[in-house]
Amino acid sequence: MLLRTVPSMDTSTHNQPQIPVAPQDEPQAPPAPTPIASLNTWFRSLTIERRILAGFSLVFTGILIISAVSYRNTTVLIANSRLDARSHELLQLLANIEAAMDDAENHHRRYLVTGEVAYLKSFKSLTEQKPSYVKYLKSLTIGVASQEAHVNVLERLIDQQITMETGAIARRDAGGFQAVRRIALEGAAKKELAAIHRIIGEMELEEQEALRRRVGESAYSTTNTVVLLALGALLQLVLLASVYYLIRHDITERRRVANELQHRGELLEAANKELEAFSYSVSHDLRAPLRHIDGYASLLRKAIGDSLNDKAARYLKTLSDSARQMGQLIDDLLVFSRMGRQEMLHTTVNLDQLIQTILYDLRLDLQGREISWTIETLPEVPGDPTMLRQVFVNLISNAIKFTSTRPIAKIAIGADRKTSGEVVVFVRDNGVGFDMQYEAKLFGVFQRLHRAEEFEGTGIGLANVRRIVHRHGGRVWAEGVPDQGATFYVGLPTSRLRT
Amino acid sequence: MTATKPILLAEDDPRDAELALAAMDEEHISDKVVLCHDGAEVLDYLYCRGKFKSRLKGNPAVVFLDLKMPKVNGLEVLRTIKSDLSLRPIPVVMLTSSREEKDLAESYALGANAYVVKPVEFHQFLTAVKELGTFWGLINEPPPERPRSNNQPSY
Repeated sequence: MLLRTVPSMDTSTHNQPQIPVAPQDEPQAPPAPTPIASLNTWFRSLTIERRILAGFSLVFTGILIISAVSYRNTTVLIANSRLDARSHELLQLLANIEAAMDDAENHHRRYLVTGEVAYLKSFKSLTEQKPSYVKYLKSLTIGVASQEAHVNVLERLIDQQITMETGAIARRDAGGFQAVRRIALEGAAKKELAAIHRIIGEMELEEQEALRRRVGESAYSTTNTVVLLALGALLQLVLLASVYYLIRHDITERRRVANELQHRGELLEAANKELEAFSYSVSHDLRAPLRHIDGYASLLRKAIGDSLNDKAARYLKTLSDSARQMGQLIDDLLVFSRMGRQEMLHTTVNLDQLIQTILYDLRLDLQGREISWTIETLPEVPGDPTMLRQVFVNLISNAIKFTSTRPIAKIAIGADRKTSGEVVVFVRDNGVGFDMQYEAKLFGVFQRLHRAEEFEGTGIGLANVRRIVHRHGGRVWAEGVPDQGATFYVGLPTSRLRT
Repeated sequence: MTATKPILLAEDDPRDAELALAAMDEEHISDKVVLCHDGAEVLDYLYCRGKFKSRLKGNPAVVFLDLKMPKVNGLEVLRTIKSDLSLRPIPVVMLTSSREEKDLAESYALGANAYVVKPVEFHQFLTAVKELGTFWGLINEPPPERPRSNNQPSY
């Protein structure tokens, strides 16, 4: 492995300056992700809300594009149809002009031949229309350069025709039929009229060509629009279907989670019921054998009476002590379990009164002890009185217990409201304290920092304190220095916990 | 009157029964104790039937009732006693291991006269049973017995 890699690395480093392309070609192994694949991974990284939003955005963009293109195509169609109308008008006008010019030629010839005034009048009225014809013609060809040029030529030819014809008429009037005899047979403007026919023919051809071109254009544009609309509709249907699928999938998923939550809730409730039955059983059945152990130990002691030696007496005492200790443990555990399950009472607790009552109830335990108490005024807090009583009984009992080795025990109870929304009550003693590294263990069930011979206890008291305070939405913590003392803090919310 | 009336102890656990009797013995009242091993026996005694068919008529001075018993449990016995006019005056003391709130509440709701949790510590148990036996068996004046034409239940 190593032998094979070393030379290859060696050659590559040697080759690098000579053929700079070669090493770049080699590491082409990982194929670059295609745009669709990267789009797919990007899409999968989105939250469901963003996916739906992306889907709807695409649909919206699609609608915008289709609308814009359709609008443009329709505008072209409308413009074309307007142009078509103009073309038809132009063709009609050209036909009219052609007819009028033919008539003018005919009528001037008839006048030349017959000298009838009616023909002259008719000729004059035809030639008088010329300016309006030309004006109309110009208005219809405006903007089309080739047709404009044609119109100019046409106008000049018409002018020439009229001039020629008017000239012939004047000569007839001056010299009579004989003067124009030859002209009358052929017509004065035969050449011009032919030119006019030709140019009108060209104009008509061009216009028809334009018409044909526009018809093709319109047809193409219409097909275009139809195809676009069809494709767009299809695409949007697909997009909407995917969005629908996404939403539906999400709803199904949510429903599934809700069902599962409900199922778990039911399981939890069942487990809770079981736990209740269990603790009831513990309360009833576990105590009986303990009572028997202690009871029969006592009966045995009495039966043997004076012949009992010291050793045997100690054994019997240990037996009784152990039974009693386990009894205490069971009682504490039951209280702990009950504190977790018991319905909480939501009322206001006067901590001042609470502490006073606790101290009164503890007075018998304090006989023979010298304790200097410092008790500040305490506020009222929302909570369950029985539970909070348990908290402070435990904390104060601990303070009393762990100062038992002090000649003068000092216990202080006070409160401060540094942070709004929370009251922090502390119980401070100058007892044996604890090492801060064990602070985390302090509030755990069955966690004890002292040996049973030093201080008795079951290791449940502080666990219970924490459980109760947590149920109140508060927090507990402690500070301590070994052999100096400890301070326990209980932070309770000042506003009622909403459950 | 009181001194002649028996004390009815309903206890399914023979060890508990022996310990209770040992406690009563210290007060010299153990000979007054009638021991029943389940709820059915208690009812047999009260209604003078089964193995108590030929017993001396009359209600006991007190009934000490355990909650958890085979056949008929303590609460059922209590319900029967307190719903029978002729048995209702008998003082009933619940003597149990259970400290559960719902047991306490239910017992008092059914008309129990006292509720005592058996202490684990024998010394305390001794004191409790002795005091209970002395109070209910000797000191307390039981209700006067109405002469009954029939000892069978009225149902």
